[in-house]
Amino acid sequence: MIPPVRMEPSVPFAVPSREALALLRILVVAGEGGSGGGLLQNLRQWADDGRLEIDTAPDLPRAVRQLSGQRWDVVLAVLGEHPDDDLSWWVDTLRGATGSPRLIAVAQAPSMGLVLRAEKSGVLDVLSLPLRREELVRALERLRSVASETAVPLPLVEPHAVGPYALVGQSPAMLDVYKLLARVAGSSATVLVQGESGTGKEVVARAIHLNGPHASGAFVAVNCAAIPENLLESELFGHEKGAFTGAVTRKIGRFEQAGSGTLFLDEIADMSLALQAKILRAVQEREIERVGGGETIPIDVRLIAATNRDLKEAIKQGRFREDLYYRLAVVTIRLPTLGERGDDLVLLTAYYVRLFAQRYGKKIQAISDRALGLLRAHAWVGNVRELRNVIERAVIVATDATLRAEHLPDELRGEEATLADRPQGGLLTLAEAEARHIARVLAHTNGQIGAAAELLGIHRNTLTRKMKEYGL
Amino acid sequence: MTGPPPVRVEKALALMPELEALAPLRALLVSIARPDEATVWSSSGPYLTLGKRGVHPDELRRRMPQAFQRITEHLQALFKAYVEALECQQRADAPGVVLALLGAGRLEEDVGRHTQARTWYEVALRVAETLQDRRPEVEALHALGYVCLALGEYSAGARHFQRSLALAEAEFDQAGATAASEGLGDVALAQGQWGGAQAWYSRGLRLAEAASDAPRAGRLERQLGVLARKQRDLAAAGDLLRRARERFEAAGLADEMAGVLNEQGRLDAHLGRYTAASAAYREALAWAQRAPRDARLELSIRLNLAELDLEAGRLLEAEAELRRAEQVAIGGHVIRRLAQIYTLMGRLRGAQGDETGFVFFEQAIELARAVEHSVATEAQVYHAYGQFRSRLGQQDEARAYLERARELFDSLGEAVERERVEAELRALSA
Repeated sequence: MIPPVRMEPSVPFAVPSREALALLRILVVAGEGGSGGGLLQNLRQWADDGRLEIDTAPDLPRAVRQLSGQRWDVVLAVLGEHPDDDLSWWVDTLRGATGSPRLIAVAQAPSMGLVLRAEKSGVLDVLSLPLRREELVRALERLRSVASETAVPLPLVEPHAVGPYALVGQSPAMLDVYKLLARVAGSSATVLVQGESGTGKEVVARAIHLNGPHASGAFVAVNCAAIPENLLESELFGHEKGAFTGAVTRKIGRFEQAGSGTLFLDEIADMSLALQAKILRAVQEREIERVGGGETIPIDVRLIAATNRDLKEAIKQGRFREDLYYRLAVVTIRLPTLGERGDDLVLLTAYYVRLFAQRYGKKIQAISDRALGLLRAHAWVGNVRELRNVIERAVIVATDATLRAEHLPDELRGEEATLADRPQGGLLTLAEAEARHIARVLAHTNGQIGAAAELLGIHRNTLTRKMKEYGL
Repeated sequence: MTGPPPVRVEKALALMPELEALAPLRALLVSIARPDEATVWSSSGPYLTLGKRGVHPDELRRRMPQAFQRITEHLQALFKAYVEALECQQRADAPGVVLALLGAGRLEEDVGRHTQARTWYEVALRVAETLQDRRPEVEALHALGYVCLALGEYSAGARHFQRSLALAEAEFDQAGATAASEGLGDVALAQGQWGGAQAWYSRGLRLAEAASDAPRAGRLERQLGVLARKQRDLAAAGDLLRRARERFEAAGLADEMAGVLNEQGRLDAHLGRYTAASAAYREALAWAQRAPRDARLELSIRLNLAELDLEAGRLLEAEAELRRAEQVAIGGHVIRRLAQIYTLMGRLRGAQGDETGFVFFEQAIELARAVEHSVATEAQVYHAYGQFRSRLGQQDEARAYLERARELFDSLGEAVERERVEAELRALSA
């Protein structure tokens, strides 16, 4: 039994800028409409308690100028006649601003679609005009609560190095993978690695290569889905000069490049049936021919293939050759999703924080409880690849020794349901409830309509229509 | 519960013959193409290009009425312009005829149909040449000059602007003479004739200042700033761009502000002032948001921002910006710029030492040939492709691609670019 990863809280970290959140610096961009003057007057009155420092900019361009020069905690922007467009411009603008200020969007009668879109973009709040003091105070208090984040030290991780990559994790699901990997690596058997996108299929393939009889040879990876279909054949088998338009030189294909090493064919299900036949021939005959060449070239590579698709289903649909499947799937390794790996998420987070901190010259030793909570709560559709991506971006924007929620992408922060906590002023209508639920499911599937439709139990066309209806 | 998978754009386009009548359908197909949901986080996700996006035939069918409506609206506007011309003819209002025909040409230009626009302008010019008042002729020549410039027909463009200038001066039409000087400067700049461009822009600026035409003076200062940057007189460039900015800001011209800040960003980048360049581009984007929607302008700024990030080694930011630019290009029907976007994507992968990045150059070449029909773009892509191969140590392929770029630049008479490629080929052989 693997003990769960323990994350002991340390003392709340001292971050002067956050402690200074008692005094919030707000940049108000009230536009040139009639509402601007009254709004500003009110804000200045409300700022009298000394906890708000307010400055103004007349419009988005001038606000950008002010944002580039100084650090702000909040931008309060009055959206114009096209609130949806304005909101996306503001979100885009603040993405690159110093100190990651939060956005409070103010609009005339904000629509449900606008509120939900704002929620998804990590907007602190959407308030309606005329602005009410209690609503603004509530939004700002939410921001001040950031100061109560507690830092927890990053746990120690013992990664298994795989060339430039690493296998990290001690969950039962990963232990099963390690055991199978150890059994198969010693042979020359062809291996099929299956798993959702971002689960680490290439890392596993590299681990098999490095621990097997072909380790002294090269590891050559080909992403079959990335390469245009008309080029894939020459990429794999090579071509002679002048074999076709664009064949400007003789090209050695990936089979030959791999020599006596390992050829890793990633996303193999994306290959055309014609090319599948040629791969099958290469596997069976252990020889290839360059495109436009008559010479037969013997090969001695170990083949590892990977896919995120259900190949048996593809065989049923006539999109994948059954004979090739059985040639490739001599041994099959199925990789678990990040969701199935439990506390591995914490270990992976710690590993990536250290990796990127070193790469970008940062000294990060802890992560806040709130940030960790957000990471745990997120549905990782992109699995480890998505987590790696999120951590890399967070490390880049982090400025002190603790990775906090504010360093995470807007989408993750938006999932904290800050806006959903707003009092609705009574019970929701059926349409409001439906819109909110659809938005939540879409956030869960990272905007993937097909997956959301499946979860909701409706056809994707129906979902698309409803999204349009609700302005989602 | 989910329907059949989408069809890849590369396959969808392969089924569509290259017929002009299908151009709106092609544009619609591309604009609704989306990344396959399954590929977003897959290992092929980072290599996603237009060809690998997917379209659902039922969505295309659903959106067809919108495309028909746009086509109908465009044709209606053209027909209306023609009927207006006819009414003017009936009233013996020949300047009105010219105005209406020029309007029709502008409508064609707005949707990127430059050849068709030129045909309208040529008819307008024929009518204008019969008039005693020469100002409509000046205008028609001006329109023809710019459309030739857009079509890469520099000599023809220069001829039209020269005629326009001579007529404007004979008529004491100061505004016409200023515009013609600006046009001649633009042609010279496009041909790399910096001395000529300098002279024409300076002359135009003097005329614009004498006429207190602040927007025109600002534009000429901006162009002089561009020229100064190209000639490495960076202090003068900064001064000229600042003056242009002051004029535009005072006049509240959001699109011009976006344009001049875009140039300021390029100058700052040239000076190695990355923070200032980034701030200038971000402000340019903010001004672009205030101006009437212009996807080309937004794209230009985003591409410059991405290139800045790329050069500063901020590869994640560069990639995010390029993906945003790709979305703007696809959604905003500016497919012609996709070749440039994918070339930068390829450069980015080259910077990461990622060999699979070649897929972006292949896609860019295909777009330059099939969509943009631009030899200049194809030459630039081959140039970058050669550099990419060279960076990965694949010298034979690098040489072959650079030689192809040299050949294409030769065919265009692009001496400056040709020389750059030649120097790189010499370095490869050394």
